[in-house]
Amino acid sequence: MQAKKFTYFKVLLIAINLIAVLFVTAFIYITTQKICNNFIAREFLGSVSALPWKPYVNIYLSVGLFGILILTFIVREFIYPNNGRIVYLTLLIDFILSIVIVSVLNFNYNGILFLVIANIIAYTKGTRGKYVLMFISVLSIVITDYEMLSINFRLYSINDYISFYDAMTQQYLLGFYNIVVSTNILIFIVYCIYVIQNQRGTIDEVNSLYEQLRKANEDLQKANEQLKEYSRLMEKMGETKERNRLAREIHDTIGHTLTGISAGIDACITMVEKNPQETKKQLEMISKVTREGINEIRRSVNKLRPDALERLNLESAIHQMIIETELMTNTHVYFETDVNLHFAPDEEDAIYRVIQESLTNAIRHGKASQIWVNIKSGEGEIILTVRDNGIGCKDMKKGFGTRHIMERIKMLNGTVEFDGTNGFTVTARIPIRWGEEYD
Amino acid sequence: MSRRKYIIITAILAVLALASGLYFHAGTRTIVLEFGMFAGSNWDVANANSYVIIDKAIQLFEQKHKNVKIHYYSGILKDDYSEWLSKQVLLGKTPDVFMILSDDFNQFASLGILKSLDELIEKDASFDRDKYFKTALISGEYHGIQYALPYETVPTLMFVNKTLLEKEGIGVPSSDWTWDDLYDICQKVTKDIDGDGILDQFGIYNYDWLDAACTNGAALFDEDDMKIDLSDDKVVDAVKFIKMLYDLNNKQNVTQEDFDKGNVVFMPLSFAEYRTYKTYPYKIKKYLNFQWDCITFPAGKDGGNISEVNTLLMGISSKTAHEELAWEFLKLLTYDEEIQMDIFRYSQGASVLKKVTSSREAELILQEDMEESEKVIDKVLLSRVIEEGTVAPKILKYNEAIAIANGGIQEIIRYDKNVESSLKILERRINQYLKQ
Repeated sequence: MQAKKFTYFKVLLIAINLIAVLFVTAFIYITTQKICNNFIAREFLGSVSALPWKPYVNIYLSVGLFGILILTFIVREFIYPNNGRIVYLTLLIDFILSIVIVSVLNFNYNGILFLVIANIIAYTKGTRGKYVLMFISVLSIVITDYEMLSINFRLYSINDYISFYDAMTQQYLLGFYNIVVSTNILIFIVYCIYVIQNQRGTIDEVNSLYEQLRKANEDLQKANEQLKEYSRLMEKMGETKERNRLAREIHDTIGHTLTGISAGIDACITMVEKNPQETKKQLEMISKVTREGINEIRRSVNKLRPDALERLNLESAIHQMIIETELMTNTHVYFETDVNLHFAPDEEDAIYRVIQESLTNAIRHGKASQIWVNIKSGEGEIILTVRDNGIGCKDMKKGFGTRHIMERIKMLNGTVEFDGTNGFTVTARIPIRWGEEYD
Repeated sequence: MSRRKYIIITAILAVLALASGLYFHAGTRTIVLEFGMFAGSNWDVANANSYVIIDKAIQLFEQKHKNVKIHYYSGILKDDYSEWLSKQVLLGKTPDVFMILSDDFNQFASLGILKSLDELIEKDASFDRDKYFKTALISGEYHGIQYALPYETVPTLMFVNKTLLEKEGIGVPSSDWTWDDLYDICQKVTKDIDGDGILDQFGIYNYDWLDAACTNGAALFDEDDMKIDLSDDKVVDAVKFIKMLYDLNNKQNVTQEDFDKGNVVFMPLSFAEYRTYKTYPYKIKKYLNFQWDCITFPAGKDGGNISEVNTLLMGISSKTAHEELAWEFLKLLTYDEEIQMDIFRYSQGASVLKKVTSSREAELILQEDMEESEKVIDKVLLSRVIEEGTVAPKILKYNEAIAIANGGIQEIIRYDKNVESSLKILERRINQYLKQ
């Protein structure tokens, strides 16, 4: 709606300028004909200080140039209104065309430059180019003033042609000409006021939007803090819950078994001398209860293991994790191993967790698209390497998810190395207690 | 190759073909050079041959430049020429090369209608300014720039009624005579012959203060400051001298009729009139009843035996599209010795080239038209009068200023006003006018 109003203004400016240019050139042409028909050509020559070169060519030339001006206006206004380069190019063409038209008119009319300024105001918003263009245009309005230029240059004057007519007609002609000139300036001024008002409106709008944005930001900040608090609470609750579960498990299994064992052994102590036979039976029973207890504990520990590991063996769990990772992210994970992946639960746990942590790090921090997971057996140990093609990490900082890995490996008396120079590589060496089976 | 490429290449080829076609067409196309001229003589004497020289020049030029045609409108009289030319200028149809009347030259030069010839002259190695009479060349100068070249020149001479002088027992003055000689002769011949109490024989007719000032070495105008100088002693003396001559006539007006009847000894006469009235058939119409000749103007005490030289100028339009051709044609008309010799053959003026005017051939052509008993004007004298003559100053309102001065000075002489103070008042009045 706003843009449409601006376009009306500009069309109005173009129309009034076209009238002015047509008036100056056509009037000079018609008057020239009249002067010649009245046989006062020589007398007229004596009263002027310069002449237009060819009055009829001036009409074609100035109107033709004006046509190009209208063309650039259409291109800028309707075809490429948002192409900055084209806007500047057409503005430059407009400026040059106006200067040429003004000089064809011998500076009798320079109002056409207001049209250029109006366009510059409308199109160049707040850039430095705007002020340069404005400065040049305003300067050219000052420079192209007829009265000033005619002191030093030979210029023809429309007033000389107007003075050919009788006094009454002269007044009408001058009146008309002045009205055209002032209308142009008037429209320009109204246009400028309109632009200024519009720009002020825009500033208000921007301010209110900014206020809204600030408020929203504040709310967001608050929500964020609440969320953090909530998450801390959740963590705590989870921990408590886990502790309770552990306590219950220990109480239910180990406590129960140990209580049984302790009671059985007490009975054995009192019985061993009187009835060794009976004691032996009793001890066999204790042994059975103990084994059952171990099984019970294993079952409990199994309950505390990661989800996949709880249900599957390590290899399947790793495969499962890789498939899920590939599904959820756009990453290829290559897994290779020459070891029968069957270890103690804590070892399996550690391996599983290290791989999981490394994959997460590679994807989250390394932005890797390919990850290679390798498990090899060494002398009494296994070597786990997780390598990726991500951006790596030139400056190694602990805590990038690496602390957990180190802690887990340390617990198993292993060592771990990180290398962030070419992608990111995690190399973990874990001593394995093969054969130390529980049963 | 894509279709788009085909279209682009075809378009480029088409444009190239069109451009080369236009280029070759332009090469063979006939160029029309417009020439602006008037019929008849610039010196207000009859001339039946006004187109002869131009036609000959055009023929020569068109022979040399096969693709050029020179066009002119015939039948424009001198009186209408200024208006006609102004009209062409206003309508943007200024001829490429055209004659310029002396009254128009300053105006046209100041309006930028005329092309500055200085650059063309500099470029043209075959062109030498010194071949022209100095006065003739200066006529085409405006504020130090050469805007036009002289085509034909006419000095002013002093007509002498030899029969009357003989009757009064006075010899024809020599070419270095002075104001005093003139005054003496006038005093002697001014008398009432038939005894009716009214003077009927006079010394001089149509000799004015401007002629006198010019022979007294006065520089009337300051071209840079646009000022007239009438209070200079030389001008004052000239006006006083004219007043003395006027006083001899006892307030009686001398007329052309008195002169034609043979009752006046001296009258300024242009060289064109001299040539016209000395030759058949015009000589039988005028001045039949007395013998006459021409001499120089008498010198004042501070000046020489000089007089005004009038020159017909030709220039090039500042907007001509054929600068080189226009220059060639202008040069042919004004600089070619053969064409310039034709001025003596077919026109009434003198050539603007020193070599042509002082040639034996020119003298023979002049002699050809005259009776054997008549003495031809001496070619040395003619050259001297032209070379040393004065040229009207290049001031825009020269004619108007001189008209005001003439009126004022006539009043001073007629009503016997104080010459010095009246001239000062007049000077101020004219300078005010010039400043407007």
